[in-house]
This record gives sequence, structure tokens and C-alpha cells, in this order.
Amino acid sequence: MGNCFSDVAGGRAAVGGSAAAASAAAGNDAVDHFLKSRGLYGSQIELSFSATNMRDRDVLSKSDPMLVGYTKGRDGTLTEAFRTEVVLNSLNPTWIAKHTITFQFEVVQTLVFHAYDVDTQFHNIDVKMLKLEEQQFLGEASCVLSEVVTRPSRSLTLDLVYREDPTIPGNPRRCGQLIVHAEECISSKTTTEMVLKCSNLEQKDLFSRSDPFLLISKIVEAGLPIPVCKTEVLKNDNHPIWKPVFLSIQQVGSKENPLMIECFNFNSSGKHDLIGKVQKSLAELEKLHSSGEGVHLFLPTTVGHSYQNKVLKSQIFVENFSQSSRHTFLDYLTGGCELNFMVAIDFTASNGNPRLPDSLHYLDPSGRLNAYQRAIIEVGEVLQFYDSDKRFPAWGFGARPIDGPVSHCFNLNGSNNHCEVDGVQGIMIAYTSALYNVSLAGPTLFGPVISNAALIASQSLANGGRKYFVLLIITDGVVTDLQETKDAIVKASDLPLSILIVGVGGADFKEMEILDADKGDRLESSTGRVASRDIVQFIPLRDVQSGEISVVQELLAELPTQFLSYMRSRNIQPNI
Amino acid sequence: MDRGHKASRTLEITILSAENLTLDRKSVKKNAYVIARIDPINYGSTKADFEGGCNPSWNEKLTLDMPFQTSFVTLEVKCKTGSGERVVGMASLPISDISGDYTPESYLHFLSYRLRDSRGEKNGIINVSARVKVQVESMSPAVTKNPMRNGCSSSWQQPTLGVPAGHQKNYYGGVVTGVPIWS
Repeated sequence: MGNCFSDVAGGRAAVGGSAAAASAAAGNDAVDHFLKSRGLYGSQIELSFSATNMRDRDVLSKSDPMLVGYTKGRDGTLTEAFRTEVVLNSLNPTWIAKHTITFQFEVVQTLVFHAYDVDTQFHNIDVKMLKLEEQQFLGEASCVLSEVVTRPSRSLTLDLVYREDPTIPGNPRRCGQLIVHAEECISSKTTTEMVLKCSNLEQKDLFSRSDPFLLISKIVEAGLPIPVCKTEVLKNDNHPIWKPVFLSIQQVGSKENPLMIECFNFNSSGKHDLIGKVQKSLAELEKLHSSGEGVHLFLPTTVGHSYQNKVLKSQIFVENFSQSSRHTFLDYLTGGCELNFMVAIDFTASNGNPRLPDSLHYLDPSGRLNAYQRAIIEVGEVLQFYDSDKRFPAWGFGARPIDGPVSHCFNLNGSNNHCEVDGVQGIMIAYTSALYNVSLAGPTLFGPVISNAALIASQSLANGGRKYFVLLIITDGVVTDLQETKDAIVKASDLPLSILIVGVGGADFKEMEILDADKGDRLESSTGRVASRDIVQFIPLRDVQSGEISVVQELLAELPTQFLSYMRSRNIQPNI
Repeated sequence: MDRGHKASRTLEITILSAENLTLDRKSVKKNAYVIARIDPINYGSTKADFEGGCNPSWNEKLTLDMPFQTSFVTLEVKCKTGSGERVVGMASLPISDISGDYTPESYLHFLSYRLRDSRGEKNGIINVSARVKVQVESMSPAVTKNPMRNGCSSSWQQPTLGVPAGHQKNYYGGVVTGVPIWS
């Protein structure tokens, strides 16, 4: 018997590789999680390097520079990622060696570069064998990868700096410039569209023809198959032709990587019958299309004490095969689109008195951050790089301002007429200040802040802006206006807006999970309008760190997908 | 007001797809189609989807004249069966969902609605995209609406005077200009 597949429409709808999924740049969640946990998720970026006006450390000739690149961990540790070749006798080198790195939107990827003058005696030694302490240090620079990829030119110029004695404080000397250029690898942009069909499928149902669907899996690590996409189920059809499936090279690894294509007979019980399968790469499927030939399915079977593949009469054909390039998330960033960060903080009384240590809003004199502060910083430090002016709307809700009624959307900066603050630190300062100037009250309402964020997004459209807005709501409790919140979210789903909800404290967040469409049905308003796309992601901050993926990474990972879903569905093109 | 100027509106609605359609508690097998209706004599219809079953896909664009007094468009999903044409479900698309808010004129909205069958029970979802186009026979000066501030009106301190310094995103509501509409 086959495996259960949990997906939409009772398992009958296509998942992952359908036109809608391709439009939304969506993938299989299991695949995404698997790839993310191994650092394989995200676009591949090729970095190239050059420098100008480097320090001249040689007496009789110019320096012979080599660049060493590091990734910087959250704890500040440097891990060497690459070394370039040595460029002889040059203060303005252009290194030939390139470094490929996986761009992960949801992580601040700090890169550190050290430049060295390699002594003549080491010129014939493989750079990997060089001892850096034996070379002359020329200078260093650092940046965040997102700073590079958001530039229209995709190039970032950094000052190389040098300290004569790192133990002595003081301004470092400038000693040239390092230019980092980024290009997205072609494989990240290439999408394959295929129409698959079968003939003479074996009848699995007792009194009717089969209800077939295809499951396509990527084979990784010792033959382990990871589902990539699934076709829709066709009713009573032994000669099915499925709707097109869309696969990116990034999803499958390369055109030569083997794919397992399994044909199942759908059963509503979830235990599907395997009709047959075949293993082919995209390149092989393309050849099948060109030749018009089919390939026989096989079925694993046991003969005595051994396993054999029984070749079936059934065949699979590639009816259509085409490849095209699409604009990616990074294309839009390069083309001038921005992600604008907004934040709304829960100031209801259920958080506890901010002056008491058990309050969720407690400001520890030692400087230790509370849950709200941690959420602001961890999300903000990622998103800030995608906003050119770094001025963020910041609101509170559920508090009573001075001499006023309870407000379910007040400006965190205390202003009556504008809601923006400067940078993530501006949010932190406004948050702290507000805590001392409002009284926590209630109830917990999300509708007003969501509607206000939606208004900003719609006005941005009216002003011709190329902005996509991200509203972070940090809350401790169960929302009181659940239906009004749903109504606001449904309306906002037609706008360039995503909503991140972080739950803090120990409350029951079941209603938050309802709002997160990943874990429930499509949201429906009180008037019968349904959310046209999923724009909400909820994460309780109390979740333990799961392996290599942090809570905030989970929270942010869907944003590029939501962004692309909006852009592509409206045929908005980046300005490249 | 110069009453000699006339404007008209056109609704461009693309019927995209539907999900989980049932008829008599059974999944629709084939031949589903949609009628978008403004009034009994002003409507458009898609072709039948022969292959999509209970998850049909049409991607057909319909263009309808839309009088200014129109308040909603009816979306009617039907199915050709052996016993004739039957209504699978209906939904109403309020014009306020595609016109009258701060989104730009002619903004392409992507909308989804719950279908209800003849007994009023839930029956799948219909997905459409739609925009309203306004044509004016002669030009008139643009009307400027009052700017509306986007910051919340509540604060925790006394209002300040003067204009805040520094670069601002256009969060003060901006100025929405448009062509005046007469009924």
C-alpha cells in the first residue's frame, strides 16, 4: 500500500509543481524543511571580488594579494569559506576565483573578508596550504549578503581597514577598497514545465478504472526520496494526461539528478495503491519528449528471496517539455522592490505589570531582553536590510494612553500624526518609552492594526510604490476579535502585505494557528469572501530551537514565497 | 457641476478557477461553467471545463458594462449533467471589494468567495480577478480628496506642533486624485 499524502482538497489536488504553485513559487513543505536544515534552501549566489588602492607591502614590487572569506556565526565565530588565488604584483587586483553561497532570506548572513600579501616564497604553494600567519595582513572588511543583493548593480564597495596593533583602540587606517559583486546562478531561475501522460495503467479499483496521480520525488543521500510535487487525481482514467507540472532546477538539484516518478491509484482512505514507477532525470525526460517514446513503468516485486522489478505493460510519456527562466525574489530586490517592516506590540494587561519580574514586558536592569524585545530585534535585524530608509511604522494596541480611552492602535513613538521610528533601535526605544507612559488594558484586538497596515499598503499602491509590507504582531494572548481579524486579513490578502504573528508567554495559541493558513483552511470573512492567498505566519516564541533552524527563521522563511505570489499573479515585473 | 460630461464603467472579470465543487453531495465530475451577472440581461459566461472535475479551471476574461448604481456581481457556477443544467453554487462579489478604497483605479484585484448551494450550504470556493475601468467622455479637473493621516490618532503624549523633521515615507495618507463620478 502507498503512503498517505496530506494536502489540499482531500488529497486530490496537485501539490508543489502545479501552475498555481509555480506561480506562487511554492514547494513541498517537507522538502523545504529538509533542504533548509541542510543549508541547501535558497538561491545560489556567485560572489566575485576585486580591490583598489591596496596597501603596498613589498619593497621592490607591488603586493601579491589574496582574499580569504569567512562566514560569521551568531556567536561571532569566523568560519573560513573560501580563498582566492594570489594575484601577482598588483594593488588593484581582480580575482578570478568565485565563491558560491546560498542566499537565505531569513538569516543575517555576515561575510568577513581578510586580504593578505602572500610572500614570494609561497607563490608556488596551493593557497589552501598557506599559513595565514606567515603572510602580511593587508586589511579587512565585512558586510551582510543582503546588502549586496539588494543593490541595483549588485555590487557593494567596502573600505578595507587595518590596525597596526589590534590591542590598541583607535581609528583604523583605511587601506583601499574591496568590491563584492553578486550574481544569482542561472539554475535558481530555470523552471521546467512538463505534461506527463500514461497509457494502459493497470486497473486497481475493483469495479472501475484507476484514479491515478503522479508523485515526483528527488533522490538524495543514499537513495532517500524526497517528494517534490504531486499531480492532481484523475477520475476513472487508465490513459491519463495530467495538467502541467513545474519544477525548478533548484528543486531537483540538476538536470542530471535522478527523479523517482511514481504512479498511484488514489484511495480516499489515504492508503494509495502503487501502480508503477520509473526513475529518470530531467535530461532523460527531455530526450523522451524529443523522441516521442514512452518508458515502461515497473513494479518492485519479490521472487523467492530476492527483489526484482517487474516491467509493466503501462507506459509513461512526456507530452510536453519546456524550460524557461523566471524572475526571482532577488531579481525584484535588485529591480527596486523593497520590503517595508512594520510592528505592532500587545500592551494588554494580561502581560502583567511591567515593573514586576514575572511580566512579559519586564525591563531587566541587567539588560537582558524580554520576549518582546527579542522578537523585535530578531525579525527587525533581518528585514531592515530590505528597506532603503529604515523608517518603520510602529504601533501598540490594548493600552490606555494618558487621559484617554483604551486604544487598539496607537503610535509607539507617542506622536499624534506619524507612526514611523528610525531603525530597529528606534522601535526598541519607542517601545521602552511607551511602557512608561501607558497603562496596560485590553481586550486583545488585531483588527485595527491589521486594517491600518492594509491602509498603508493600499495607499502605497495608489502612489505607485513598489513596496511590499511586512507587519509583525507580537502578542501574549488569545485574540478577542477573531472574526474581525479574519475579515481584516481576508481583505488584506489582495494587497502587498504579509503578517507575522509571534506569540509570547504560555497562553493557548490555538486561535493563532487558525489564522495561519498553513495549519488550517483558507480564512473566510463574515461576508463569505475568502482569502485569495496565505499572508499569515504564526510562531510561538517558546518553541525550542529545532536543529539548525531558529524560530525566527521559520517565521520569515515564507516571506519570499508570499512576495512572489503577489508579484507574479499581478504580472509585476522587476525593473532590471 | 457640468452635467454635460458623462462617464461609464466597465468590469473586467477573469474567472480563474473553483475548488471542491459538489452537487447532491457528490463531487462534480465535469462540465462546470460560470455565469457572471450584473442584471438579468447583462451577463457573461465561461465555457465548460471538461477536465477539471470538482476543481475546474477556466481563466476566461469577461467584460461587462457596469452601471454606477451596481452594488454587486453575482457569480453562478453551473454544471451540465445528464438531466440538464444545474446550479452548483452562487456567490456575490460586492463592488466595494474592487472599487472605492485606496487602491489605484484599475487595480487588478484577486478575490475568492465561498459558494452557497440552493439550500444555502457551503459548496466550494470560486477564484476570480477583477478590475473596474472608468471611461470619461471629456476631461475635467481632478478632484483632490482630503489627505488622511495613516498614523493612529491615539498617542501617549500631548500633540506636538510643526512638521516632523526628516524624510518620511508617504504614510500621511497622501493625496488621492481621481476622475469625478456622476450617477
